[in-house]
This record gives sequence, C-alpha cells and structure tokens, in this order.
Amino acid sequence: MDLLLAAHIVKNGLLIGGIYGGVALGLSLIFGVMRIINFAHGSLLMVAMYLAWFLWKTLGLHPYVAAFITVPALFGLGYLIQSQIISHLFTREKALVVEPLSALLLTAGIFLVLDNLVLMIFGPDVRAVSVDIAYANFFIGEIPVNIPRFIAFVASIVVASGLSYWLKHSNMGRAIRATAQNRDAATMSGINVPFIYNVTFGLGVAILGLFGALLVPFFSITPTLGLSFGIKSFIVVVLGGIGSIWGCVVGGIVLGLFEAVASQFVTATSAAIFSFGLFIVILLVRPKGLMGKA
Amino acid sequence: MSSNKALEVRNLSAGYGDANVLNGISFDVPPSSIVALIGANGAGKTTFLRTVSGLLPMRSGEVKLYGKSLGDMPAYKIVEAGFALSPEGKQLFPEMSVEENLIVGAHNPNARKVRDETKREVFDLFPILKEKRNDPANSLSGGQQQMVAVGRALMAKPKVLALDEPSLGLAPIMVDRLFESIERIRQLDLAILIIEQNVFQVLEMADAGYVLENGEITISGSGQELLANEHLKKAYLGL
Ligand SMILES: Nc1ncnc2c1ncn2[C@@H]1O[C@H](COP(=O)(O)OP(=O)(O)OP(=O)(O)O)[C@@H](O)[C@H]1O
Ligand SMILES: [Mg+2]
Repeated sequence: MDLLLAAHIVKNGLLIGGIYGGVALGLSLIFGVMRIINFAHGSLLMVAMYLAWFLWKTLGLHPYVAAFITVPALFGLGYLIQSQIISHLFTREKALVVEPLSALLLTAGIFLVLDNLVLMIFGPDVRAVSVDIAYANFFIGEIPVNIPRFIAFVASIVVASGLSYWLKHSNMGRAIRATAQNRDAATMSGINVPFIYNVTFGLGVAILGLFGALLVPFFSITPTLGLSFGIKSFIVVVLGGIGSIWGCVVGGIVLGLFEAVASQFVTATSAAIFSFGLFIVILLVRPKGLMGKA
Repeated sequence: MSSNKALEVRNLSAGYGDANVLNGISFDVPPSSIVALIGANGAGKTTFLRTVSGLLPMRSGEVKLYGKSLGDMPAYKIVEAGFALSPEGKQLFPEMSVEENLIVGAHNPNARKVRDETKREVFDLFPILKEKRNDPANSLSGGQQQMVAVGRALMAKPKVLALDEPSLGLAPIMVDRLFESIERIRQLDLAILIIEQNVFQVLEMADAGYVLENGEITISGSGQELLANEHLKKAYLGL
C-alpha cells in the first residue's frame, strides 16, 4: 500500500472518528450520570438534522447559523423528554431507583415515536442541504481535507474540552458529577437531583443539536439514519470507557480509523460488521473500555 | 418563626414495602443540645434519619424544624431549611477530592454564600483534611473519610446536624478524637442528633437520649438517667 493512500485512509478515519466521538458525547454523559442507555440517541441526532435542513429549506439559514437554533431547541427537547417522560421511572417511592431495562424500553419507545413522526411529516425521501462549503478543501501536503468535516471534527474536540472543564469547575458541573457518583449523597448535600437529571439529559441532547447542524452539509438525511448513529455511539461509549468524556473521543477515533481501513478491503456495510468484531475483541481485552479504570 | 425546639418529631411512621419500621415516634431536639438516639441493629434508626431527610416518604406524622414543617419538602429543600445528615457508611463522592466533597456539601444557596468561611471552620476542626484537601476521598483512611462526611454535612450550615454512626469501623483512638470534635461542633451553635453504637460514650456526652425499640420510643431521659437505667444497662451497655 502506498504512503499517500495510507495517509488518505488515516485522514478519513480521524475525521469521521472524531465526529463519532462528538456525537456519542451526550450518550456517555447521560449514561455516566443517570445510568440510562438512551436508545433514542441517534434519533435525536436525526431530528436535529431535519431541523437544520428545514431551517435551511424554509428560511435559507446556513446550517452553521441554524446551530444557534438547533442547540437550544434540542436542549429543550431533551429536558422535556427527561422531565415529562423518563422522570416517572425515578419518582416511584420517592427513592430514586431506576431499573435499567425499563429505561431502555422507554427510550426505545421514544426512538420509535421520533422515527415514525419524522417519516410521517417529511416522508421517506432522502434530503440534503446544499451549501458551497460542502466541497471546500484545504491541503495538508498533498492530502485534501474537507472543510465541513474538519469543522465537525474540531467541534468534537472543543465540546469535549469545554464539557470536561465545565464539569470540573462549575457549581452545576460539580453537582452533576456528585449526582453521578452517589445520588443519595447528592440529595443529602442539598442537590436537586431530578433537576440535575433534566439538565444533564438536556445537555446530552443539545450536543446532538450542534452535530446535527454540523453534519448536514456533507451528510444526506433520511428518517432512519438515527439507528446506525445510535448503535455506533453505543459502541464508541463502551469502547472508550463508560462515562469518560475523553474516552468517548478516543473510542470514536478508534472506530473511525478501523472503519476507514476495513472499507479498503470490503464494502462499507461489511465494514460495519467488522466494527462489531472490533468491539467484541476490545471488550474481551479491556472490559472497562480503552480509557476506563480497570 | 421562633420555637424552642430545633427539631420536633410527632407520631412519625415510615418503612419499606408493606411493613412499617417506625410506628409513630415522637421526641424533640432542643437548640444547642446533643440528643442521642439509641437502638439495636435494625431498630430503625437509619430509617428515621432517611425519612427526616426526605429520602424516604413519611407515612404519617410530622417533623418540624424550628416550627417549619419538613413533610412536604423535597429532600434538597430540607437541607436548605437546615437539616443536614452525615449518613451511615459515609457515602462520600469517592472520586472527588476532599475539598470538592466539602464544596458540594455547601450546594444550597444559604451555605454557598459563606462557603469559604465554613470550609475554614471545618479545616480547623479536622486539620488533617486541610492537609489532604486535594486527595481523592476514597484514598483516605476510614476515620478521615468519616471526618469528610461530618465536614460535608457541616458545610450545609445546618441548624440541626444528624450523625448516623460516625464512629462505625474506627479504631478506638479515632473514636475518642471524633467525640472530641463533636463536643467542639456543639459550640458552633447548632443542635446535634446522634446515633451511636458506643452507647456509653455517647450518653456521657448527650444532654438527652431516646431508646428506639420495635418502632417506638420506649425510654427517654437525660444522658445520666439513661446511663443509670437498668433495662438499658442490660440491653445496650452489657453491664
Ligand atoms: N432499603 C430497605 N428496604 C427494605 N427494608 C429495609 C431497607 N433498609 C432497611 N430495612 C429494614 O428496616 C429495618 C430498620 O433498618 P435500619 O437500617 O433503619 O436500622 P438501624 O437501626 O439503622 O440499624 P443499624 O444499627 O444496623 O444501622 C431493618 O429491619 C432493615 O432490615
Ligand atoms: Mg443504621
């Protein structure tokens, strides 16, 4: 294999992998704090992409401008889903215990509702946003780097850094970490745990609002794209170590690189099968994920 | 809203599932006093504190803090109202530093305003915590972790501080030091409700004590009275 081709593969893998990591951040955050696997994660990304597309189609908003709407909109949607639907799982007996299975079933229900709702409203057609930036490249030596992908990649790093910093240093961030580590103790320390849950879920989904807008310039949209993103996010989170922000980025990059290499030898769909294989192998070697504490 | 009772418990019932653990218990904690709640393993002492904290629903009865009913408040508001608990088994935030554990204790708005000042008080009380302020809580010894738990509860600026078996699992020398600290906490102008296995030691220090048996308060009196009580001597002091 010649060097240029290898460099191409690495570049593609890094870019898409970073994006996988960014998309998975919210899933990791929500799982880390609430122990809920949000099955609707990918569908919420899909909703964000439709919203960005819709704003472009009707108002002519550039997706990067639309992000200023999709982020708060998705925060609100996440906050509502948690406070109005999922919270009921926590309030039984006032004791805040949630069974993982019931949360998974409930969010699977939300996934079905969202996917079918979008199908009903927008139909099954493939949609795309066409903006000039989609084809813009810059060069590293001889390697072209697609600018919107690069922007999304950088956004992953920026969001991951910002989130880590905020969780570490703000009062709300500290309360979120406290709740994640011991929710009864958090309550006894005067933290309004149900509110923390609402905010955490809202935040996790708001990140999808950002990536929805950043993805549409180079990613076409269908009502069913959520599931594959959801599953990949899940793989990324488990690979990186559950609840670890930087593990999420690393897990994404590992998955992206692996897919990029595999797709040189097999078709993209079989490459997906190989990524499940990688997933299983890594978990056998490191059961707590790449960055997880043993 | 003044009241000569820091904590007033009236006919409180609580429990798990179908069974009641507490069947209508009543007692008071006066301001600036130390009150001990005594009871055998499984008597329901922890259940009582979890109920007052709002972690477990009250089934009937009432709890008032300086005249203000805690019954309808969510748990986090109860802390803000002035009731803080250092729970059984410490329940720290294991991956946070000692200092962060304390800071989280001052989460409620009243406490947050005076956070740095309270932190100094806690460090004065437990100098070792100042030394270990940047260490993760789970790297500390059992006794030091207990200090963090008590310190974290103090950070909430409570009017009533509840301590659930603070000496559990500590070496005797550490137990003595802890009791000294509790005597000093009393000077901070708050009421202390304490649950202890070291019945003798706690009654020596307490102004009043109550004995919880079969979900009811069966004996009450001053610390000295309880120490002299025949039933108590046999059942709890092993004399
Ligand atoms: N989460 C729970 N679910 C069901 N029953 C419980 C629960 N926690 C405690 N119990 C039961 O309630 C009763 C009272 O328990 P509790 O922990 O309040 O006792 P305690 O007086 O604090 O005992 P100890 O001295 O051992 O700490 C016990 O019979 C216990 O088995
Ligand atoms: Mg107990």
